[in-house]
Amino acid sequence: MVDDSRSELSTARLRLAAGRAALGRSLRPSLRGAERLGHLLRRPGLVLSLAILAFVFVAAAAPTLLTSYDPYLTVPADRLAPPGAEHWFGADEIGRDLFARIVHGSSLSVQASSIAVGIAFSAGLVLGVIAGFAGGWTDAAIMRFIDVLLALPSLLLSLAIITAIGFGTIPVAVAVGVGIMPGFARTTRSEVLRVKTLPYVEAARLGGASRARTLLRHILPNSCGPVIVLATLDFGVAIIAVAGLSFLGFGAAPPAAEWGTLIANGRNFLVTAPWLSLIPGLFVMAVVLAANHIARTLEDGRP
Amino acid sequence: MKVLRRCFIRMFRRRAASATIVALSALTFVAASREQASGAGSRATTLRIAFNADNPLLTSLDPFQVYWIEHRVVLRNVVESLTDQDPATGKIIPWLAESWETGADGASYLFKLREGVTFSNGEPLDAEAVKTAFDADKAFLATSPGAFGAAFLEGYDHAEVIDPHRIRIVLSKPNAGFLQATSTTTLAILAPESYKRSAKERSLGAIIGTGPFVLASYTPDVGLELVRRKGYGWASHAVDNGGEAYLDRIEVRYVPEASVRNGQFTLGETDILWPRDPFSEADIRVFKGKGAAIASRSLPGPAYNLYPNVAAGRPLADPGLRKALQKSIDRTSYARTVYSDDFPVVQGVLDATTPYFKSEKEKLAYDPEGAARLLEAAGWTLGKDRYRYKNGKRLSLLYVLWTKETAGDLLLQDQLRKVGIELKLSFLVPGEMITALSAGKYDLVALYLTRGDPIALQSVLDPRFAPTGSRAAARNVFPPEIGPAAEKLFDAGLVATRGDDRARAYGELQDLLIDNNLAFPLFERVWQTALTGKVSGFAWTAEGFATLSSVRRTP
Repeated sequence: MVDDSRSELSTARLRLAAGRAALGRSLRPSLRGAERLGHLLRRPGLVLSLAILAFVFVAAAAPTLLTSYDPYLTVPADRLAPPGAEHWFGADEIGRDLFARIVHGSSLSVQASSIAVGIAFSAGLVLGVIAGFAGGWTDAAIMRFIDVLLALPSLLLSLAIITAIGFGTIPVAVAVGVGIMPGFARTTRSEVLRVKTLPYVEAARLGGASRARTLLRHILPNSCGPVIVLATLDFGVAIIAVAGLSFLGFGAAPPAAEWGTLIANGRNFLVTAPWLSLIPGLFVMAVVLAANHIARTLEDGRP
Repeated sequence: MKVLRRCFIRMFRRRAASATIVALSALTFVAASREQASGAGSRATTLRIAFNADNPLLTSLDPFQVYWIEHRVVLRNVVESLTDQDPATGKIIPWLAESWETGADGASYLFKLREGVTFSNGEPLDAEAVKTAFDADKAFLATSPGAFGAAFLEGYDHAEVIDPHRIRIVLSKPNAGFLQATSTTTLAILAPESYKRSAKERSLGAIIGTGPFVLASYTPDVGLELVRRKGYGWASHAVDNGGEAYLDRIEVRYVPEASVRNGQFTLGETDILWPRDPFSEADIRVFKGKGAAIASRSLPGPAYNLYPNVAAGRPLADPGLRKALQKSIDRTSYARTVYSDDFPVVQGVLDATTPYFKSEKEKLAYDPEGAARLLEAAGWTLGKDRYRYKNGKRLSLLYVLWTKETAGDLLLQDQLRKVGIELKLSFLVPGEMITALSAGKYDLVALYLTRGDPIALQSVLDPRFAPTGSRAAARNVFPPEIGPAAEKLFDAGLVATRGDDRARAYGELQDLLIDNNLAFPLFERVWQTALTGKVSGFAWTAEGFATLSSVRRTP
């Protein structure tokens, strides 16, 4: 048992270390362009994932590049039109183009997920660093607080928060961010604890570096690698959580629609026009899989 | 490697086998329960109805308090009234009262009661019981003046028992809607025993009536159950089956989720699918494909109208803007898009089945160019985002919703966007809604009420009669210069005892609302049900409910 968990721990450490190394490597311009292209071609899954995320970010930044349809324009004659040449993803019950709605919904969904991950990343990093570096009572207090948050299912926590602060894209993002923050705090703390005992940190302290300098120059840069990997991993989680909350009707005010709202709106037509729910659903799935795939690649350290 | 693979295959096989066993046992379970259900069906016929959600604001089955139309459908089959209303003509016809005479001053009614009628607990229906019922309603009103029945009982003073089967109801002032009120479930006559219980017990199902069914149980938010009343035989002439009901039991369930409700119906687990909102074209196609029939009737009373907040400082205080708004709504497209091709287009303030309904079709024509001209003239110019601006302020209206936005709300939002008006949709929970209405923080709100008499308009729009929750909204509908004229017409309709006078008063009232653009009709409130092929004999009552005693269901 003990051996097992220890070996598991050490594999995890190895993977994290590899991830750090990979990050470092990708920052260094040591790989030549051709070599890099060869690497990519051997991994079509990664190429596809990058393409999907690129599409989503373009859609979020400049939706009009991808579709000429107005996402809010109702065309009664086209209601419940199936996917075809005119409406690529079909049209909804009042004749709005579904492809345009998904593309225009990207900016809200990406925005919400990014804010959520941003909140979780920064809050988690600060709490984790303080806990790991200070130790003692501070550590115990912060970690018990994190334990309380961890004990609640993150979606439930988000629901409670959103009921308190109101509906909309930003509240959803805040709620999801707080919901996934504990994982970040935990990961950061364990990394800080590990790095703190390494010889070069001790050397820096002996060399007369102040606590703040040790923390900012030596510990923080060396412990945030795994947290960055976690952030890319949790980007997918955040997309699902945001879609889940907007599915439940907590998202942006109509007619603006996040992806979850689109799935929810199609529910009543599952029998007669299944694409209304299925296409946005598959789209969210593709984006989440792509984000996860990229995160795994980063983690494995084989770009 | 080989060993590993074999091991894996074996594991997989074992899993597959256990999965098959689970699936098989589930199948046999389903088969067994099906058999049980059909076995019960051969002995006793049960009709299963699925409604939308139970009333979230008021848990009550007490006829005098209930406004929830689903509850009134149920009550119509449990409790009965002195008179009935003919669904074809809207005329008041005898029921528990065989005949009646109206006093010369229009403020008293002498009812002669039918003999031999008993409540389901054995008590006889006599003049004493009727007096108990009316007095109990009046007493209840004294404790909670905002109750739904207030408008129905308006003016009731006392009742005089002349002999066991004759009773005189005396009003303190004429109430032209009173006779129609005696035909509603609201003024239904319950057994004296019911009135000995508290209002709370009545709300939870202590309802004893004379109807063809008896309320066996009521579980709020879940459902209720009716069983046949033995020895029943005093239906009004509006009902085909005058005797005992054909059905043994009726099971009512509240299913808030439309997809679940529709799914249950297409799978044959529901006999009558009866949601609040009309079906969409796509739903109707699916149901008809399963051999179902669709029955519909427009509910008497006001149509689905939006009422403005014309309080000073709100955008709709401007009559020109109200006129432009009226012209920007495409009602034909609304009916066709949100509902179906043969869905009636709303024609006025009232639904077409309401007595004294007046068509205002010409005044409600769709005219986006006219609306744009009006707005331009008033200084609202189109901005880059296609919304109109004046002094840097966007033309934006806040529409507060009682339920989550529907396809219709979104369509309206886009119709107004086409002329440059931004319509903000805001779904409020009941508490927030009451706050928003009383603080006047809204521009448009939908209010309606189902009643087979135009007096329903007064219950909705006259602040003196509107229920407490929406009284503030009623006050905000009329600008100060129109308020007194409207009040005069409400009163004229209330006291006029001659049909012609009422027709004139309510005709003028409907004109007043449309000419001043104080009501924005959106759609005719049509109630639709889907009936499986097994169900026959379904018929609507005048108020859009149903008498289920003539319904048959083949097993």
